[in-house]
This record gives sequence, C-alpha cells and structure tokens, in this order.
Amino acid sequence: MKRCFHVVAIPIRIVLNTFGDYNPHGMMYVLKENEDEVRERVKRNPFSPVDLVQPLVIRANDGDEVEIKFENKLPFATGMHFSEADYDVQTSDGANVGLNENTLVECGECIVYNIKANHPGVYYFSDLGNPASSDQGSNINGLFGSLFVQARGSWWTDPVTGCPIKSGVYADIHHPFLPSHREYAWIFHDEMPAVDLTGNKPLDPVTNQERESTHAINYRYEPLQNRKKLIDEGVVCPDCDGEEVHHDSWVFGDPATPILRGYVGDPARIRLVHGGVKETHVFHYHVHQWFQDPTNTDSEIFDAQAISPQSWYDVNPLYGLGSLQGSFGDAIIHCHLYPHFEVGMWGINRVFNTLQDGSQCYPNGEPIEALKPLPDRAPPPLPTKKKPGFPNFIPGKVGFKAPRPPLGIVGGRGLTKIERNAAVPNPRPGAVFTDPCGFVDDPVVVEYNISAIELPLVYNREGWHDPKGRIYVKDEDIDDICSGKKEPEPLIIHMAAGTCIRINFTNRLPNVADGDAFQLVTRTYEVGLHIHFVKFDVLVNDGANVGWNYDSSVLPGETIRYEYFADVELKAWFFHDHLFANYHQQHGLFGSGVVHPRFAEFLDSCTGEEVDSGTQITVVQPLIPDYRDFSLMVHDFALIFDKKGCPLNPPEFPGSQDDPGLFGVNYKCEPLQFRLKGPDCDPAYSFSSFVNGDPVTPILQCYEGDSFRIRLLQGAQEESHSFNVHGMRWKSDRPDVESRFNAQQHIGISESFTFEIWAKRFGDYLWTFETEEDLWNGLWGLIRVFDEEVDFLIPLPDQIPPPPRTMALPECTGIPPGQPEIIDCPGPADAPVKRFNIVAFQIPIIYSDHLEKDPFGIIFALEEDMNDIICGKKNPVPLVIRANVGDRVEVNLTSLLEFNKFPFLDGIWPYPPVKEQACYPPSIRISLHSQLIDYDVKTSAGETVGFNPDQTVGPNEAITYCWYVDENVGTCGLWDMADIRNHRSLGTYGAFIAEPKGTEFLNPYTLEPACNGASVILNNPFLPVTREFVLVMYDGARLVDKCDQLIVDPIDGILLADEPDPDLVDTYDNGSRGFNYRTERLINRYVKVPNLGVLFSSKVHGDPSTPLFEAYARDPITFRLLNPSERRRSHGFFLHGHYWNSTNTDITSQIKSFISEIVTGLTRDIPVHYGAGGVLGIPGDYMYRSGNIRWDIEQGMWGIMRVHGQVQGHLPPIK
Amino acid sequence: MADYKYDYKFPTVNDVHDQSLVYYFMEQVGKRILIMSPAFPFIIIGIILETIDDYLVVDVETTNIAELENRDWFIHIHDIEVFYVENGGPPIPKLKDGYC
Repeated sequence: MKRCFHVVAIPIRIVLNTFGDYNPHGMMYVLKENEDEVRERVKRNPFSPVDLVQPLVIRANDGDEVEIKFENKLPFATGMHFSEADYDVQTSDGANVGLNENTLVECGECIVYNIKANHPGVYYFSDLGNPASSDQGSNINGLFGSLFVQARGSWWTDPVTGCPIKSGVYADIHHPFLPSHREYAWIFHDEMPAVDLTGNKPLDPVTNQERESTHAINYRYEPLQNRKKLIDEGVVCPDCDGEEVHHDSWVFGDPATPILRGYVGDPARIRLVHGGVKETHVFHYHVHQWFQDPTNTDSEIFDAQAISPQSWYDVNPLYGLGSLQGSFGDAIIHCHLYPHFEVGMWGINRVFNTLQDGSQCYPNGEPIEALKPLPDRAPPPLPTKKKPGFPNFIPGKVGFKAPRPPLGIVGGRGLTKIERNAAVPNPRPGAVFTDPCGFVDDPVVVEYNISAIELPLVYNREGWHDPKGRIYVKDEDIDDICSGKKEPEPLIIHMAAGTCIRINFTNRLPNVADGDAFQLVTRTYEVGLHIHFVKFDVLVNDGANVGWNYDSSVLPGETIRYEYFADVELKAWFFHDHLFANYHQQHGLFGSGVVHPRFAEFLDSCTGEEVDSGTQITVVQPLIPDYRDFSLMVHDFALIFDKKGCPLNPPEFPGSQDDPGLFGVNYKCEPLQFRLKGPDCDPAYSFSSFVNGDPVTPILQCYEGDSFRIRLLQGAQEESHSFNVHGMRWKSDRPDVESRFNAQQHIGISESFTFEIWAKRFGDYLWTFETEEDLWNGLWGLIRVFDEEVDFLIPLPDQIPPPPRTMALPECTGIPPGQPEIIDCPGPADAPVKRFNIVAFQIPIIYSDHLEKDPFGIIFALEEDMNDIICGKKNPVPLVIRANVGDRVEVNLTSLLEFNKFPFLDGIWPYPPVKEQACYPPSIRISLHSQLIDYDVKTSAGETVGFNPDQTVGPNEAITYCWYVDENVGTCGLWDMADIRNHRSLGTYGAFIAEPKGTEFLNPYTLEPACNGASVILNNPFLPVTREFVLVMYDGARLVDKCDQLIVDPIDGILLADEPDPDLVDTYDNGSRGFNYRTERLINRYVKVPNLGVLFSSKVHGDPSTPLFEAYARDPITFRLLNPSERRRSHGFFLHGHYWNSTNTDITSQIKSFISEIVTGLTRDIPVHYGAGGVLGIPGDYMYRSGNIRWDIEQGMWGIMRVHGQVQGHLPPIK
Repeated sequence: MADYKYDYKFPTVNDVHDQSLVYYFMEQVGKRILIMSPAFPFIIIGIILETIDDYLVVDVETTNIAELENRDWFIHIHDIEVFYVENGGPPIPKLKDGYC
C-alpha cells in the first residue's frame, strides 16, 4: 500500500505548559492540511499550549511505501531524514552527504521522499540540514517526529472519537488477528530554549538562579519550580513544601505533559522515542514491566530503560495497563534522572476502571474526555453514584495535598463508605483497591520492618564523608549501624519468587534538613518507599504522591504498611523515596530487593546462618546450582566532604543541580589520587593491593568454580555510568542463551541488571565504573576468587569443597609485585598460535586534514609498522588485531615510553578535566588489557590488580600475555590500565576482533593477507565473503589546531554559538571526539564555507578525515563498533539506510538501525542486513554518525561508507 | 517427480518408544514423579494419577509457579524431556516456600 503525506517544516511558537513557558523560535513538522489551523490556534493562544502543536507522528504498515511531499518554510535548507527506512540515498536521504545528490530543500521549495517500511518499529525523522547544537539549531527547537510502522494489516482510530486519523501522538491500533491496543508516542527531548511568560529565562524560586534547561515530552514539560510558586504565593496547599506535591493533581490539577489514558487491562504500546540532542535519559514507568526486546520473550524484563538521542524502544507493558494485578489509578512515567524529573520531564498513565463517555468530571471540575473502549474487549462498567470509579471515590480536597490511603498508616483511618464500595473484598494495609497477592492461595508472606534514618556515612579511609547520610535500614539493625557495630550499606532484602512482601515503613528522618555548601534548608517532612518491578496497588502503595492517587508516604514518627507481590523470579527491584528525592536520594536513600528463584534459601556467606538481607549472600536452591549474590549500587551527586569538613566538588551555589559532589558505590569510594604509595608514586600500581592495600569498596568473594550473580543498580542521581568487569563476561540477557557475551553495561539511575558469571579461575578481578572521572574518583573494586579455603567464606553446598589452605593469604607490603613467573595459557596445547609483537610509543597523531593533532599521542602498533609510523609513511591508527575462535594469541608488549614526552609532567592534567583534580604523575609503564576473551587474570589481564602479579611493563621492557579465543565474542576493546589519567586521552586503546574459526583476513585494496587494520575482507569457507569495518569511537581527546592552540571541545566546535557560557558543559563533555584517531569537526567546514546545508558534502569540502569505508552494492558488510575511551557522556551510532538485528547472535531479535547508550567499554558487532546499499542495493554515500546533535556530530563524530555501483580500479570486488 | 519409496514397518520405532513410555507410566500410577519439560513451566513434581492414551495425568504439588500447583495436569508424553519416578531410589526433594 502506498501512503502519501504532505509535510511542512514551519517556524512555530511552542508553549510548553500552562504556566506559559514557551519557545519563541520553535520549529515543527506538520501535515499540510493542519498547517493553517495550527498557525491560527497559536496566534489566538499565545500563552497556552495548543494541542496541535505536537511532534508529528504519522503511521504506516509494515510493507507500505510512504511518499512524503516535503515543503520547507524555515529560513535554511532542511529536510527529513528517516532512520530504519529503505530508500534511495540519492533521492530520499533527507541530507546532503558526501557525493550524493542534495536531498535538502531551501526555504519555499519542495521535494518528494519515497521510503519503504520493511519492518515494524519507529522510523524517527529529523532534520540534518542544520546540525548546530546551539539554540539556533533545528533539532533542539523541535524539528523531529516519527513514522510508526505497525504490523501489516493494521488500521488506527482516534481514542476519543473512534474515527480514523491521519496523524497524532495517540491512536488505537486495530488488526484482524491481533488484539487492538493503545499506542502512545512518548518523545523525550531536551535543551529546547525556553523563556517564561515574561520573556525571561525561568528562575528557580528557591535559589533565584536560572533553573535547569528544558527536559520535555512531546513539546511539554511541567517544572516543579512553576508549581511551587503557587504554594509560595498561598494559592494552593499552604502547608506544603513543593517537591512532595509536584505530581499531585489534587493540589494543581493535571499537568500539561502527556496523560496516556486507557482502561484496566488494555493492551498498550508506548513508542518511546528520544528526539532530543544531548542527554541519555532513563524512562521509568510505574507499576509496569516490559521485555527489553518485545520480539523476544527470553529477553530481560525492564521497568526502567536508558535511551540516547535519536533512539527508540517499544514499551509493551506485560499484562496490559495496570499490569497483572489490574491496578487502576495514575501511574507516573518519567525520566528518572532527578534534575530532569524535577524540571518537568514526567507525565501520567491514567488507568480508568469505569467507562468514560465524556459526561464525567475530575474532582476539580475539569471534564474527563471520552475514551472509546477497545472494540475487542468488554467495556468497563459505567460509573454510578455508589461506584463512581477512579478518581471520584477518593476523599481528597481540591487545592490540598492528596489524602493518606485508608488502612495504610498505623493508627490511621479506615475506609469511607464509598471507598469500601471500590475496594477488594478483603482490603488490608497496602492492598485496598487491588489485591497484589491474590493470585496464589495462601502465599508465603515475609514481613520487614524498615526505617529511613539519618546518620554520617564515611566513604573511605581518607575521611571523605557525608555528615547527613540518609539510608534505609531494617529496624533490628538500627542500633548496630548507629553505634558503628555494623557498617552501613544499601539495604538489600532478599525473597523468593511467589512471596507476598509486607513492609512496615517508619519515617525516622529529621523533618527539616539543614543547608550546607550543597543544599539549602529543606523541609523534608515526608518520605516513602517507592518500589520497582513488584506487583502492587498503585493507589495506596506507590510510595509516592501522583495524580489523583493517595499520598502513600508517611510523616515523621509514623509507620505506613505496604504490600507487594514478587510473582516470578525477577531481578533486583529498586526502591527509593519519591517525595523529596531531589534532596536526599543522593545522600544514600535507596535500596533494593532481590527476587530469587522459588525455594531459594539465603545464607550469610561467612557464617552460613540464614539471612534475609545483605549486599553479599550465598543462595542455596535445590534445583539449580547454588550461587553467590552480590549487589552493587552506584550513585552520583554524593554530597561529601573531606576529613577537614571541606565540601568536595561543591556547586556554585547551594541548591544547584549542576553536577555537585562526587560518587559512591555501596556508600564507598576509593579514589586513585590516594593510591600512589608505590615507588615514584607510579599510577601503574594504583589497583595493586600489594602496594596500596585492598580498596574500601566492595570485594566480592567466592571460590574458584562458583557461580555468582551481580545485581547492578544505580541509586542516584543524574549521570550515566559504565560498569565493566575485567577478565569475566556474561550473557547480555540472562534468560536468553542466544544473547551475546558482554563485559560492560551502561547504567542510569533506577535501572537494574543481573549478570550471571562463573568464576573460572582464582585470582583478583577488577570491576570498574570505567569512565575516567568515575574511576579516578574511586568507583572500582575487586572480585576475589579464592583457590583454597578461607574461614570467612562458606563453600557453596553443591560444589566440591575448596582444598584446605596451604598458603597464607597475601598482605599489603608496599612493594610492587613481580611479573608472573609462569604464564599459564588457556586452551588446548595444540591450538594455533597467533603472535603479535606490539610496541607502545609516543608519536604525534594527525587527527584531521585540518591539521588538528595530538602532539603527545601514545599508540599501540605492530612492531613491523613502527618505523613507517615514525618516519611519517603511516599516520597512526588505533591498533586492530584479529584471531579466530580456537586460536591462542600471544601478545608481546614492549614499552618505549619516555617521561619527558608527556604533556603534564607535574601530574596535573588540566584538560579534559575531571572532578576533584589532584596530582597523578604520568606513568612510564603501560599495559594492554583485553575484554571478553579467555585468559588467566593473574598473568594476562594487562593490569596490576589486587594481589595479582604485575602485568604492566616499563620502558624498554617487554611482557607477554597469552589469550585464548574460546568463543566467537567478536569485538573486544583493548586499552591500557597502567595510567588511566595520563594515557587514555592520548590514544592508548585499540581493538581485538575474535573471528569465526577458519577465517582469513585480506587487505581490501591489495587482497593480500592482513591481520590488522580497520578495514579487511573476511574470507571463510562457510560464510559469505564479507567486508569488515572497525570503528573505534573515542572521546576525551586533547587536540591542538594547526597553530598549536589547544582546541577546547565541545565549546570551540559549536556552530552558530551564542555568547560562550562557561557552565554550558559538564566535565565529562570535554574533549575532542570522532572515530579511529580521526575527527571531522564541522566548524572547520563552516568557517571555510558558511553554509549549514553543505557541511557533510564532499562536493564542497572533500571527503571527511574520518574513515571512508568502501564497498560495492550488496557486498556483505559487518561493522565492529567499540568505545574504549573515557568520557561519561553517552553516544549513539547510526548508519543511514541500513539496519541489523539488535542482538547480532539472535536472528529473531528486533531489527534496528542504531546502537544506543555507548560509553566506555561498549562493544558491538553489526552484521548489516542485505549488505552495502541496503535492501535496494543502491550505490551512494551513507553517513555513519552519532545521534547526539549536542555535542558529537558537529564535533566530528561522523563519517561515510561509500557504496560503489561500478568497479573501481583501486578496490577489487569480492567474490 | 521422483518416485520415492518408503519402507516403513509399523509400528515404527517412535510408536514403540511412545507405547513403552505409556506402559511404564501405567505401572507407576500413585507414585511421585519429577518431570522436566523444554517449555513452560519447565519443571513439575506430583503424583501420577493415571494415563489417558498418551497423556499422563499428574496431581501437581510443585512447579516453578505456585498458581499452577494443587491441580491435575494432563501432560503429553512428547512434552516430557526428562523424568524421574520415586521407585525405591533417592526421594524427590520436598520443596517448600518461605525459607527466609
């Protein structure tokens, strides 16, 4: 079927909420038939949101052809670039890339794009004519939208009228064979320039400083700061403080942000899209869970999901709206990054339990818009006087805080008559209107008494501390923790699947929190326990105060009772406060429950006694292997002071959300600045327990041969982190054996991951949050695998007991360990051996044709290439080496580093910066650590960790590592671990690629054998001959321009920059970026030809400096993508006109055209569907790039894959 | 079209295999059985009540999911990947909820 749309890009005033915050220079795509009406309505309503001003969402079916007549009414060349789609890159790319025809159009012109939808999903579209990240850019001002592609045979109707619709963010989708479902567009976007009603930048009424930048959904946001003004002025809720009622419709009425409406049990799909330019947000949806990959029922279950710019996910809530328990009421949906949440990035999923025909009103008199029942489901009952339905049975008072739930507060009220009519037959505390534990006859009930308390938390041996730590504790542990007998740690409670959980939660916090360098005095008089994953009644048990629900928090000195159900084995469920989280979550107020397999028994790993809580326990289960269970909760914005009481990384003013404080993991950190106790203060031994003792951070302990699970969660507050385990790996989706092996995971606040790992060999393994700033400030620890028995760790009952101890445990000596005496190489003795003689040396690296360079570069290179590099015949590239499955790899690493060639000999590295700068002198030792493949961590991990031998190498010395390629793990990052401050920015990274057994590698230009290089041909007798392209995405580089002036990216690379704002960037945004030691910063091109529309054009500017990969149409191609560099800002990866399976090892996994949440340590293998040129096999230039308009693309993170239609003399075709 | 010739002899080896299983289960009526299946719910423990054609009827006392317990389940023998009957050997463990 062919569907035709006429789309116009127009300038438009976007009013973002009912307080009149607006973007005077907004831009949007709109259907031609709506253009006049939109303009007229905006003209008539200059200070109110206009419904039709929303991101354009159009729909088609799988298999459809879509013709877009695009008309540009913006004052610069623009277009519509579609992800996921198949199209002719010469006519429908919506961009002006390389040598292609220009498919942008100038103001007043039209163009026709023809695309084919060959798989369901979100076909995100946006402008690539104006890629500026500044306020003058197009994407930041709203020029994005989506084509939602449905299952073949679908049609769609308006949820209010039931009539067919052509566009709109909400629709009911119908199908002859599939259930009808609600479809909601949830398009996050950020950084949109906004002013308040007066035309000035909005202020925070507490700090009187400018509030956070815009974080919105579908062109709407609902900041706390606006609503708080109504409290401060006495208009509403005079006894309230602010944050605790931010989401309370009883106080303020409904927000301007999306309210996704449906009936209990309705099948639904939220199309989660990121239309923003910068941040990686975390989408969290209360009450509901969904499969990470909706096409794969073995995939992980999520209820919080990170998403980077221009990416998308389908969120299909399991069991439909209200989840398994059928919980009706308001389920808030929000970005979990707390500063974003506070500034308005939230909305509501409103689940009605009675029919809404348009005749009802909310308690404040606002009419409830009609909502058609889905045609294949029985409609809910009509509201009656006795049973008026949600929210009209709740005894709230408009203008005041929501009422407390009936039965919940100990000593509190019972049910009103009308509440009784709405209640389940056996209402009880925490389970009044839905019975979360009603699925099972007589379920096991476990009860916990938990309190929130305030106490000082000491983060490390240097006396870094939070004097006002706030944590959850079991009541029975309060005395031991407060008296120092028991070390505070995040509360982790454990239960088996099928358990009904009851919690008596007491608020023992001071109701006024003092001010300090970080925060202002805040009246944090309420607190709750909001839970993820488990089943519960959202009206009374959310631990939150949302919409027209009850306020299920508790006042000081009071106790509230909650009830949840763990229906199946889940993973770790996050819990935290939802009332004053912006004040005290970063003080430690978070925890987790872990749902284990049914029949599991939980033991203290030291004594063997039964326990029900703890961050490290032993789990015994009769049907599956016993395992250790370890929980790590990372957090940022840790508001800590040094031992003298000086604040560490304080903000410019108290109350600022501008990345205050530092970091912790389980309330601890082990900063590298304090681990220089070895000779010459050499950073190479920072991780060595021989030299510096064990870290104070968690050491996860087990015996060789044990299985263990790491529960990884993030408790606070705004930033992305990158968890890595060195020398170990896990299946990316624990329930799915077809998922790929990973050794790294991006995480944002509230996300939860379980990694199941087998401790194959004894030794000390490093776990890290690997980005430079995290690691520098102490987010690392050890996994200690013992070979012999120790008296503080019980053996797993189903394992062969470890042998008695024959060797004393090692101790800190202050002396660096020696190198390993014997290298025990894994794998069969007769395995083929691949040897690589690698040299690490200092050499200037030219990063671009604009002569941007790193004069102090350090590279790894094959010994045979070194002379050519030194004499300038070869410009340095990241080392890429390969071996096949079944090969043994012998790496001989020689260091030629010279101290005097480092840029900052005094040990202070000023740019790119990190928080909490301190002296860390450059190390002249170096190492080469590899991810994912098999080796003995005591000899070949390429790092000196714990009580392992030294695996770094000094100048003019050599060391040998031995690896075994036991699995087809694909791309593995390589990097130095001797000095993460003074080496990584200079280029000390590369890639190892594990290829299928029997593969030969050929130089694509000479067809001669070649083991290294970013571009090779893979020749395997059982596989198609394939071109392989390796992209080493990097950030944090320190470059100088052709005049040797330091380039301060991203600031120096911003197009159409307004006046420079020194606070614009976070520490981790700094540094230059690109691929494979190359960059193509758009500012250089713009200076040369000040025309935004030709920035990517090779006709005007020549080809970019970044790798130009070449292939012939339909050549099989595979990309190997990795990011071994250092910054915490997440990136995306997109390839125009192509797509692939989101899990390369699973051919049934969802098809997508991007990789998202890319941060240090990520590796992906991307076998592209249909080969070069996509399904249509069309020659042309296909751009690969990041999705971050701010600040990746313009800073050079893009390049071209050139697909030839005719044989080229320099590029032999493949057979 | 090729002229394929089949030399089936009935009963086939599969018929014999199925019939043997059915006979075996008929002899085990009243005993406890542990069954593992490749599909949900993966594990079943209960008492064999009877066989009906090539279905086994089990009074299920334990599975992964409590909601499926204390019911009679009809299990096709093709869905049984592995089984163990308490027949004088080690007893099947009694699994219980609520250790903590």
